[in-house]
Amino acid sequence: MKHKLVFVFLLLGALVWSAPALAQDEEIVLDFYYPAAVSGPLQEAFERYAASFTEMHPNVSINVVFTGSYGQTRETVRTEIEGGGAGPDVAVMLSVDLYSFIEDGTIISAQQYIDLLEDPQDFVDDFFPAFMLNSVDAEGNVWTLPFQRSTPILYYNKEHFAEVGLDPEQPPRNLDELIEFAELLTNDERDGIQIPLAGDFPSWLFQSFAIAHGQNLVSHDPTEAFLNTEATKASLAAIQELGDRGVMPVGGSAWGDTPTNFIAGAASMIYHTTGSLTFIRNNATFEFGTGFLPSGPPNEDGEGYGAPTGGGNVYIFDNGTHSEAELQAAWEWAVHLASADIQADWTTTTGYIATRPSAWESEALQNLVAEWPQYTTAPAQLQYADKEIATYRSIDVQVMINTVLSDIISGNESDPDLALEIYQEQIDSLLEPYRGE
Amino acid sequence: MTVVSPAAEPRRGKPWLQRALPYLLVAPTLIFITMFTLRPAVQALWDSAHSRPRANQPFAYVGSQNYEDLFNERHFIGRQYVKILHNTLVFTGGTLVVSLPLALLLAMLLNRKIRALGLWRFCVFYPVLLPMIGGATIWAFLFSDSIGLLNTILRSFNLGTVPWLLDPDTVLPSVIAVNIWKQTGYFMLFYLAGLQGIPRDIYEAAELDGAGLFRQFWNLTLPLLRRTTLFLLIIGVTFGFQTVEQLEVMGRGNPANRSNMLLYYIFQLRNEKLNTGHVAAMTVILALILLIFTSSNFFLFERGRHDEKA
Repeated sequence: MKHKLVFVFLLLGALVWSAPALAQDEEIVLDFYYPAAVSGPLQEAFERYAASFTEMHPNVSINVVFTGSYGQTRETVRTEIEGGGAGPDVAVMLSVDLYSFIEDGTIISAQQYIDLLEDPQDFVDDFFPAFMLNSVDAEGNVWTLPFQRSTPILYYNKEHFAEVGLDPEQPPRNLDELIEFAELLTNDERDGIQIPLAGDFPSWLFQSFAIAHGQNLVSHDPTEAFLNTEATKASLAAIQELGDRGVMPVGGSAWGDTPTNFIAGAASMIYHTTGSLTFIRNNATFEFGTGFLPSGPPNEDGEGYGAPTGGGNVYIFDNGTHSEAELQAAWEWAVHLASADIQADWTTTTGYIATRPSAWESEALQNLVAEWPQYTTAPAQLQYADKEIATYRSIDVQVMINTVLSDIISGNESDPDLALEIYQEQIDSLLEPYRGE
Repeated sequence: MTVVSPAAEPRRGKPWLQRALPYLLVAPTLIFITMFTLRPAVQALWDSAHSRPRANQPFAYVGSQNYEDLFNERHFIGRQYVKILHNTLVFTGGTLVVSLPLALLLAMLLNRKIRALGLWRFCVFYPVLLPMIGGATIWAFLFSDSIGLLNTILRSFNLGTVPWLLDPDTVLPSVIAVNIWKQTGYFMLFYLAGLQGIPRDIYEAAELDGAGLFRQFWNLTLPLLRRTTLFLLIIGVTFGFQTVEQLEVMGRGNPANRSNMLLYYIFQLRNEKLNTGHVAAMTVILALILLIFTSSNFFLFERGRHDEKA
């Protein structure tokens, strides 16, 4: 009797011990983390993409995990890995977090997989170049794939335009026209223009001014930020003038209020992200148009348009515990998410800009554009778009840039020139240890 | 002849469990205090004296550099910190200056026999019951620039609108107003209890002596509520320095940190993983300020008790 029991236990033990060995034949589960910055049936969409991926790769299943906001997702991933966990295999995170994770050493570059493709250049070229600027490092290595990207555009109320005798099909082309139009449009009931520069994140829309004035706040070099420049000062002066002339609330408007004000008719023109297009489309009770952000002084090419990009990219994680097969599967899943079909579907689901021109040729997006031509503004404006603020110590640098811009724009800095100088110094001292590698 | 202390005698025979029992009973608390109070406190002290040039490099000892930076006009954190310290003081002072007299006034009004007394008391106390984050969200809507209730009312009287939470000059008063709304009811409760603890015959005696209402208030009520007022001042200051929730929904310290306060600023910087040394230095300073107030609470009331006995 006793012997029998021992035998049974041994048998059970053998089974348990051998189970992983049996399953080792390529049964892979990928943990995929995603944040939400827009509303919509996101989980349902990702489950669909996961199902279609598993159809193509029967041995791989995707565990789709919603991880809160972008900030929470970043902290979740970092905490897990710092605490000795494996972290996710793939995650969507802000494109500007790139250097933080490069420094942590917890992500792997997509370049090593791109190099194995038949035509690596062809793969990279099918993304909008502006979106790739936040995917590559200073040496041109691709780390992440653009996934849910956006850019700010101009929205304007066509009825207000017609009311004051402006051509409803012609948004302002440059800052002079912006002021001229806004002066006509402003009355007791509404502001001519609202730009969400109030709040803790003025840098994003400020960048469109800086790029239009010829010098973005950052370059391809992640150890540089250009805060104390002529372009910055000219941009601040332009913003100041909008406030002084009474066509824009002094200091700008709040981010969340701005689209609401637009649909309520309290603002005739606004700068806002393409991410708000679906909201505005669904809620505006009037005809509205979209246009490029007005240009600054003309560049050599005769244009002075400018806008930053924003949004999230697909990151592949490895803290040394992931197997080669898992990494390969993670890469395939990243490519799947960045594919034209999924990008087209994601655009119709969320309003983000599909990240590759081929996605815009798909039937889904052709139909969308036929009904709502406003969706074409953003991809067309991308040719003038530039990199979003991503450097080493990106979060710290962003906080500094946003703090000083917020101080100056809101009129709380008695000596703007000195402040720019101080903050530039501080940023340089923060980035100095990273230079000359 | 040896004298055996009577207390020691029965103790010798006690089983070990009985002797260990007190220690076992305080152990859980002690463990948690060590883990969540003492260890972080020591960590903060250590952090505040260290800094690192790159996120993946080891920390180096920097002495009092982090503390000096906080008060250095040419350091980006120093440029904000002094402003935020000032905001916190104005916020705390502003709240107390208005809400304490208001709480006392309401307590006196609600300490008499009037109709629907319970309803009135409930109305004044109701904001205390609302979670701060919920209350602040309602206020954020009332203050909202173009669709907010306050501006809608102003507009209907053709008075021109005020960008309450966006204008650097109105944002702090707006946040203070919400805090007054939230805390007055709470303070009132203490005053009400204090008032009910005052014997009526004192007033009757005063009346007989010909003291008017104001004199009664000034020479009787106010001095007799001295202890309550002192207590409320101290917890009021403590609350003020711990303000976080309403800032999160009422503009996150914007514009330009003009409504930002110490604890929330620490939270923001820590959350963004900005230089842990500066954050730790700010934490140490905040902890010291709070320590001074809470310990003064302890000492003042201890002394008060001795006075009474004497």
